[in-house]
Amino acid sequence: MVAVKELCKSLVQPLLAVFIGLLTGAVVIAAVGESIIGTYQELWKGAFGSFYFFSSTLARATPIMLIALGLALAFRAGVFNLGAEGQMVLGAISATLVAIYLPAPGIVKMLAALVTGIAMGGLWSLMAGYMEAKFRIPLLISTLLLNYIAVLFASYLVTEPFQDKGGSAALAQTVMLDKSIWLPKLFAGMSVHAGFLIALAAALLLFWVLRFTPFGYEVKMLGQNPFFAQYGGIQRIKVMLTGMFASGAFAGLAGTVEVLGSHYRFVDGALTVPNFAWTGLMATLLANSNPIGVIFTSILLAAFQTGAMGVERNTEVPLELASVIQAVLILFISAKFSYTWWKQRKKKGGNTHGVA
Amino acid sequence: MVHRLEMREMTKKYGDFTANDKVSITLGEGEVHAIVGENGAGKTTLMRMLYGMEQPTSGEMVLHGKPVVFRGPDDAIRHGIGMVHQHFMLFGEFSVAENIVIGYEPSKSGFFQRKEAVAKVRELSEQYRIPVDPLARVASCSIGEQQRVEILKVLYQGADIIVLDEPTAVLTPLEVKDLLKTIRHLADSGKSVILITHKLQEVMEVADRITVLRGGKVTGSVAKEETDVDDLARLMVGRELQQLSERLPLDGKPLLQVENLTIRDKQLLLDRVSFAVHHGEIVGIAGVSGNGQSELLQAISGLRTVQEGTVRLGGVDVTNQSVAKIRETGLSHIPEDRYLWGAAKTESVEENALMGYQRKAAYNRRGVIARDAFRRVVQEWVKRFAIKTGSRQLQEQAGNLSGGNLQKLIVARELGHQTAFLMAAEPTRGVDIGAMEYIHQALIEKRNSGDGILLVSSELSEILALSDRILVMYKGKIAGELSRAEASEEKISVLMAGGSIHGSSQRAM
Repeated sequence: MVAVKELCKSLVQPLLAVFIGLLTGAVVIAAVGESIIGTYQELWKGAFGSFYFFSSTLARATPIMLIALGLALAFRAGVFNLGAEGQMVLGAISATLVAIYLPAPGIVKMLAALVTGIAMGGLWSLMAGYMEAKFRIPLLISTLLLNYIAVLFASYLVTEPFQDKGGSAALAQTVMLDKSIWLPKLFAGMSVHAGFLIALAAALLLFWVLRFTPFGYEVKMLGQNPFFAQYGGIQRIKVMLTGMFASGAFAGLAGTVEVLGSHYRFVDGALTVPNFAWTGLMATLLANSNPIGVIFTSILLAAFQTGAMGVERNTEVPLELASVIQAVLILFISAKFSYTWWKQRKKKGGNTHGVA
Repeated sequence: MVHRLEMREMTKKYGDFTANDKVSITLGEGEVHAIVGENGAGKTTLMRMLYGMEQPTSGEMVLHGKPVVFRGPDDAIRHGIGMVHQHFMLFGEFSVAENIVIGYEPSKSGFFQRKEAVAKVRELSEQYRIPVDPLARVASCSIGEQQRVEILKVLYQGADIIVLDEPTAVLTPLEVKDLLKTIRHLADSGKSVILITHKLQEVMEVADRITVLRGGKVTGSVAKEETDVDDLARLMVGRELQQLSERLPLDGKPLLQVENLTIRDKQLLLDRVSFAVHHGEIVGIAGVSGNGQSELLQAISGLRTVQEGTVRLGGVDVTNQSVAKIRETGLSHIPEDRYLWGAAKTESVEENALMGYQRKAAYNRRGVIARDAFRRVVQEWVKRFAIKTGSRQLQEQAGNLSGGNLQKLIVARELGHQTAFLMAAEPTRGVDIGAMEYIHQALIEKRNSGDGILLVSSELSEILALSDRILVMYKGKIAGELSRAEASEEKISVLMAGGSIHGSSQRAM
């Protein structure tokens, strides 16, 4: 019951942020001269209006959710991993190559691709962790810069050595994967695929690990007070490295399921242009790093994006509306920090009798 | 006779909580009035009202026979009330004189008159016999000097009533003596002093009148001549104090052996420190804080690497091992700063209690922490140490516990590990008498059961009350060793200040 209460508490603030975000969006819509209600109706329809749109939203939420889960783990441990994009892309390209070239039956190839994607994302992230532990290169910088290396390297791989030369127009992409490797769609003709179930299962697993296992306890305490954790015998470096590996692994998995479930090949830019990594970061922040909360915030943010496409199709309001609302959301999450700070300050003022 | 200050039936409520309940005090000219009480008794609330930082719910303040209301500290200062806070408010990069005149700088056509400021500070310093160097940079001054700067600052601002909030907590024994002399001198030259403290010895030395608070109410207001330390302690705690258990004579084998321990970090922090703690023994380490005690504790517990020397625990070499390994070998540790090292304020009591137990077999079921089993253990601790956890019990945030209750929780957690060796650093700092009794008794019981304890404390009375042997640290070295029989406050004070004494006994390692 404590868990349920905690979840509700962690949802109040994001819902408030969403509300204020929509209000700000209304100002934008009014400025464009469209009907506010009408536009939001289109937004809703674009995201949830029909089963087809709804399934598109879930498909879009899948990589966002996986990335957000990885980041939630890292943030809980007080570790800043801003390299989800690179970890996702590197995981995806490695998994794609394994899926293309490994001589094995389809199901084995699929599993091998998933494992490779997870491992490569994890290792890429672990490298940043190792550099911090060994050479004190701040994670904030290393993870961010490693993104460029991973993304551009993958770009190179699909424009030169592993490019699909078969098509008439030589696009920067690999050849199509064999059908036997594809993650099955959950409903015929709909875009949501088995990756969504993987993401849901991952969320539950992460929730369980964080809440009930000694490792989860250590992650939490490290995030709350690293000195206390160290004093108590928790090995900061070990937990940090584990956290980095796991968060990278989640990102690698995100890229892999996107390839195996949606694109069926690695297409240059297909993972970076939709901003999965940064949307995932927002989902984590919105959910206050709660894995169950992440399920909802990922779907919500995905809905804004698919909904905005509907808005653009049917009104004069530009696609960027979704970006504006998202930006406002983020602003109000940071406002939460000041709000709790203010509340605590007030409490401190009132509590001086305890110190007297 | 008109008193200089009267606070009449001051009441302050925070919601349902009454921090001050009809507290009345009077303060005469040239009087030193001590206000004593345990943590949470309402001393600070009372002073915040006097200083204009809080508005009373009811009650009135009368200054020189006239009722006054202070809107803020500035108001209070204008009426001649000065406060020296526990945590100094000084600018380290500026000179002593600049810090003293701040806000009321002597100036000529808009320019700061530095020479005049220095002259004025010199004059004040001589008048009240509070020695400072007006030109020294504050950051390079000792804590004692910084405190004198604070006192001169309020005098410069024209205070007739000087409030000192726990002034001796940060001082060495010698500095305390000087401060008490200064307080006496201030009173003799007509100033009135309000001294907030829980150190009864000092109160008896310097105060004229003593008001005791408990739970927001005055439980006694007495002249010094009519009372003694025991009497005051009873009024503070509300019951008789218990005697510590007898210490059983024990002659145990060496448990912790430290040899030639040396730490360098740009400068020499620990200099070839050697000593041993035996089974059934409490070894006290006295010293002014900052003389290597923290480094020693961190080296033994594995939080800091040493360059030379060895630490052996129960015969096992644990030098530069991980904290986890050393704890497993048999160390528990009450840390010197409970908020920095000892707890996560934002987490619950239960989570804080769990630290160090999360991987123990007794509290694990198939990879999951056995919360129910552990919770029962914590509940026992709460009962045994009378820890007040608030309405949410084990789910209460640790940061909401009072300092004493959090400290009891930490002590319970570390004793719960049942290791042969315990390091207790400042185990009762900022803790009230009731909690202190519990903790001291627990340490003695652990000693009597044949375990060894290394006690580090800047509180001499605590060192003297508990230790079988006393080591004094000065500038990273062991400056001297005293047996329980030969130790006295004077001898330790001399060693703490870098002096030497004869006749120290050495015990074989």
